[in-house]
Amino acid sequence: MSELVDNALALDKWSLGRLISQFEDTRASAAAMRSDILTELAGRQDSRRATFVGITGPPGVGKSSIIGELATRLIATDETTAVAVLAVDPTSHVSGGALLGDRTRVNFPADELRLFFRSQASERDLGGVGRATFAVCRLMRHLFDYVFIETVGIGQSEIEIQQVADWTYLMVQPLTGDAIQFMKAGVMEIPSAFILNKCDEKTVAQRSYAALSSSLRAFRADGTVPTIHRTSAHTGEGVAEVVAEIAAPDFAPNRPTLRDKELYFLEKWIRDEYGRAGLAFYKEQGADAFLSGDLPTAYEQAQTRFANTFGIQ
Amino acid sequence: MSGTSDKERAEHLLYDDEGESVTDRPWIFRTYAGHTSARASNELFRSNLAKGQVGLSIAFDLPTQCGYSSDADIALPEAGKVGVPINSLDDFHVLFDQIPIERMNTSMTINGTSMWLLALYIALARERGVAEDQLRGTTQNDIVKEYLARGTYIFPPDASARIISEMYEYCLENIPNWNASNICSYHLQEAGATPAQELAYALANALGTLDTIRERGKFTDEQFERCVGRISFFVNSGIRFVEEMCKMRAFTEMWNEITRDRYGVTNPKYRRFRYGVQVNSLGLTEKQPENNAWRILIEALGVTLSRKARCRALQLPTWNEALSLPRAWDQQWSLRLQQILAYETDLLDYPDLFDGSRVVESKVAELKQAARAEIDKILEMGGVRAAIDSGYMKSGLVRSMSERMSRINRGEMVVVGVNKWAEGLPSPLVGGDDGGLFRVDSAAVAEALDTLKATRADRDEDRAQAALTALKAAATSGESMMEASIECALARVTTGEWADTLRGIFGEYRATTGVEGQTLRLDEDRVGALRARIDRYAEQAGHRPRIVVGKPGLDGHSNGAEVIAVAARYTGFDVIYSGIRLTPQEIVTSAVEESADIIGVSILSGSHVELARQVMNQLETAGARDKVPVVFGGIIPETDFEELTAIGIRRIFTPSDYELIDVMERIMTVVEEARG
Repeated sequence: MSELVDNALALDKWSLGRLISQFEDTRASAAAMRSDILTELAGRQDSRRATFVGITGPPGVGKSSIIGELATRLIATDETTAVAVLAVDPTSHVSGGALLGDRTRVNFPADELRLFFRSQASERDLGGVGRATFAVCRLMRHLFDYVFIETVGIGQSEIEIQQVADWTYLMVQPLTGDAIQFMKAGVMEIPSAFILNKCDEKTVAQRSYAALSSSLRAFRADGTVPTIHRTSAHTGEGVAEVVAEIAAPDFAPNRPTLRDKELYFLEKWIRDEYGRAGLAFYKEQGADAFLSGDLPTAYEQAQTRFANTFGIQ
Repeated sequence: MSGTSDKERAEHLLYDDEGESVTDRPWIFRTYAGHTSARASNELFRSNLAKGQVGLSIAFDLPTQCGYSSDADIALPEAGKVGVPINSLDDFHVLFDQIPIERMNTSMTINGTSMWLLALYIALARERGVAEDQLRGTTQNDIVKEYLARGTYIFPPDASARIISEMYEYCLENIPNWNASNICSYHLQEAGATPAQELAYALANALGTLDTIRERGKFTDEQFERCVGRISFFVNSGIRFVEEMCKMRAFTEMWNEITRDRYGVTNPKYRRFRYGVQVNSLGLTEKQPENNAWRILIEALGVTLSRKARCRALQLPTWNEALSLPRAWDQQWSLRLQQILAYETDLLDYPDLFDGSRVVESKVAELKQAARAEIDKILEMGGVRAAIDSGYMKSGLVRSMSERMSRINRGEMVVVGVNKWAEGLPSPLVGGDDGGLFRVDSAAVAEALDTLKATRADRDEDRAQAALTALKAAATSGESMMEASIECALARVTTGEWADTLRGIFGEYRATTGVEGQTLRLDEDRVGALRARIDRYAEQAGHRPRIVVGKPGLDGHSNGAEVIAVAARYTGFDVIYSGIRLTPQEIVTSAVEESADIIGVSILSGSHVELARQVMNQLETAGARDKVPVVFGGIIPETDFEELTAIGIRRIFTPSDYELIDVMERIMTVVEEARG
C-alpha cells in the first residue's frame, strides 16, 4: 500500500486510479483500507492540499471544454501544480449502468501527468453528486492542488455541490433561459460566481449579461450580485480571468471547513445506509458521539463507529 | 421532318425532340476505388476504364480525408489502407497519369479537405494546360453527414460552411460542370436512417447549404438560381427496393417543390433532383457472403427502374464488402452487373413504368408527408446546424439504428443466411489463395512516403511558405481561400500543412456522440439475467463493471461503438465512451485513470493488427498489460484472429456477432475471467 501511495503522490495514473477505486468500493471491507491510505497520506511531507471547485450547469453549456481550458492553464502557472477533474454523471434507474463523462471534451494531453480525469456514476443519488463523491474527494484532497467537480445540473438536485466544493460556478449560456429555470428552482443562492459561456457573439452576450445581472440583483436575498464571467471556450476569451480568480491566494475565502463537510456527508451517508431509523438514532446521540477529534480519518472512523453502535443497538 | 405526331405515339415508347423513337442513355458507371499509393491506384483506374467503366470515383485514405500527411503519427497506421494517400500535387500527377482529365467525370469522396483536393485537381489541370472549365466531377464535401455518421470532419460547423460556400462561389463561373458538394443521404441510411429520416435530413442539409450561400450574398439572383441547379445528391438504396424507388420519387418531387417555393427557382432545369447512388452496404452480410451479390442487384433496381427517379451515376459495392476491401475482380463483377442491366435488358427502352400507379403514388405521398413533418421540426429548431449542435439528428439516427438491430435480434427483420436459414454449404468464393479478401501490401505505402520526402526536398521552400502565409491571411480576413489553396497546391504544399494551417485558425471540431436517451429492445429475459450477473459482480468486486469503449484511428464510422456503449449501459455497465478519432494512448489513459475492467475497441479501417499492437504497448507502458483485458470488434477477417490473439486481444467480434445481448454476455465473461 505504501508503494501505491508513493506512486500516486508521484501522479502515476495507474496508482491514482487504483486508490480512487478503493474510495468508491461499496464493500464493508474497503473501509479499513481507506483509513490506512488516509493515515499514510496524512503522514507524508509531499502530500498536497486541494481546493475544490464545483462546476455545474445544464447539459451542453460547455462545462467540460471550460474545465479543460482552466485546468490546462492552471498547470501552466508553475512546474508542480496538479489538477484533477471528477465528473459525475447520472446512473440509469433501470439498469444501474451509467454513461460517463465525455472525457475528450476536456482535451487533456494523454501523457500529461499533472492532469487527471475521473468519471463517477451518481449511483441513483438525487443530490447531484454521487454517493462516493465525498469519499473520493477526501482522497484527492491529499493528491492534487485543484479538483474540479463537474455535475450536470438543471436545478434543485444541485444543492449538494456547494457542500462538497469550496467554491461553485454555475455555468449558463446566452439566451437559453437556463438562468430563469435556476431561479425558479430557488438555487440562485448556491453559486459563488457565474460563468456565462459561449460569449462568441458580442451583442447577444452583452444582452444576456445585462439580463442575468439584473435578475440576480432581484433574486438574491442580500441584493448582491456575484461575479459573472463571460467566456468562450472557442476563442479562449474570459478564461484568463477565471483562472486568475481561482489561482489568487485569497480564493474562496468563505469555504466550508472540513468538519462542515464531514457533518453534512455523514448525515447523508446515514440516511442512505440506515434510513429514518438511523437518522433518528444519530440525532439522539448527537454528532459528537461519532465525529470527534481532527484525525485525517475522522469521517471514516465516524462511519465505523456509527455502524458498530447502531448495529449493536 | 415529320416525326410521329402526339396521337400516334405509343405510351410504352420513348421519343426524342424530333419525335423519333429512342432509347435512353445509360447512367454513369462508377467503381469506388483507390488504395496503397498513387501509382497502384492509377493502374487500377486505367484497368477499370479499359473494362468499360465511365467515370472515376476516388477513394482517399483516412489521413488524406482528415488532413494529415502520410508520415504523421496518427496517419501512419492508416496510410493507403482504405484509399489512396495524396500528400501533394506530385501524387496527383501520378494518380492521373495517362488519364485525360478533360474527358473524365471524376467523383472524389472527400469532405474535411474537399477544398484542398479540388485545388489540387485545378492545379493539375493548370500544369497540364487543360482549361479549368472543361473539368467535370464532384467533391463530396458534405460536412453534415460527417458530423452525423462518417466522422472525417476537421473544422467546426461555421468554418466548414464557409469552405463549402466558397467552393460553390468559385465553381459556378470557373468550373461550371463541377458539383462543389454532394448532399449525402447515403451515410444516413448506413447509420440507420429510415427512408423518411433520409429524405428529411438530406433535404434539410441542402437547405442549410443554400441558405448559407444566399446569406453570404456573393451571388446575383440569376447566379443563385444556377447555384441551386448545381446542388446534387448522393443517395443510398437499400434492400426494400420498392420503398426505395418510392423514396427516390419522393426526393425528386420534394426537391422540385422546395427549390420552387423556398428559393423561387423558375427554370425547371435547376429544380431537377440530380443524384448519384451507391447501394447499401449496411445490409451486406459476412455470413454466406455470396448472397450479397443478389442483394446488390436488387438494390440497383430500386434506383434504376423508375425513369423519373433514375440515378445519374451508380456505384455498386462488392459481394465481400463485409469481409474486407474489394479486390479488382470483385469490382469487375459488380461493374458487369451494371453493364448487363443497362445494355442487355430492355430497361432503357421505356418511359417511366410507375406513372399512374396508385400504389406508388400513395406510398410516395406517405413518405413525403413524414419527411415534411421532420423537416419542419428541424427548421423550427433553427435548421440543420442547430439540430446537429443539440444532438437531435444524431440521436435520431442512433435510435433508428438500435431499433434496426433489435428487430434483427428478435427475428422481426429477416436477414437470409444470418437470422434465418443460417445453415449453408461452404462458399467456394472465399476459397482460393487469398481467401476471397483484399490485402493492402503494407510495404507499398513506402512509395507514398518516398514521394512525400522528395516533394519536401525538391520544392521551392520560399514559394511554399509564402503560399501558406497567403492561405492563413485569406482564412483570417474572410476572403475566399480557393485561389490561395490552388497556389498552395502549385507550390507543393502538403496535405498536412494545408490542413494544419486552417486548423490553427478555425480549430478542430468534436461532434456529439448521440448515445444518450435511447433504448434497445433486446431479449428481456437475457437482459434480466445479465443484469443480475452484473449486480452480483458489483457486490463481490465493490463496483460496477467499468468498460471503456474506444474508437482508435481516423475511421469515423462510430455506429458499432455507439451501439455497444448503449447496450453496455442498458445491461448495467458503467460506460466510458469518448467518441471517435482517439489515439491508442488516449484509450489506454482513459482505461487507466478510470480503473476500467475492460477495454472494447471498434475498428473498421482494416488497421486492426497495428492498432492492437499499439494498444497493448501502451498498456505495457502504463503497467497495466495483464490487468485490463482488451476486446476488439469490427470488420476483421477470421484469418487475422490468430495474430490478434497472439498480440493479447481476448475476444474478437465481427459483423457475424449480430446478436447484441450475446456480445454483452461474452464481454461480461471476459470481465469475470479477468477478476478470477
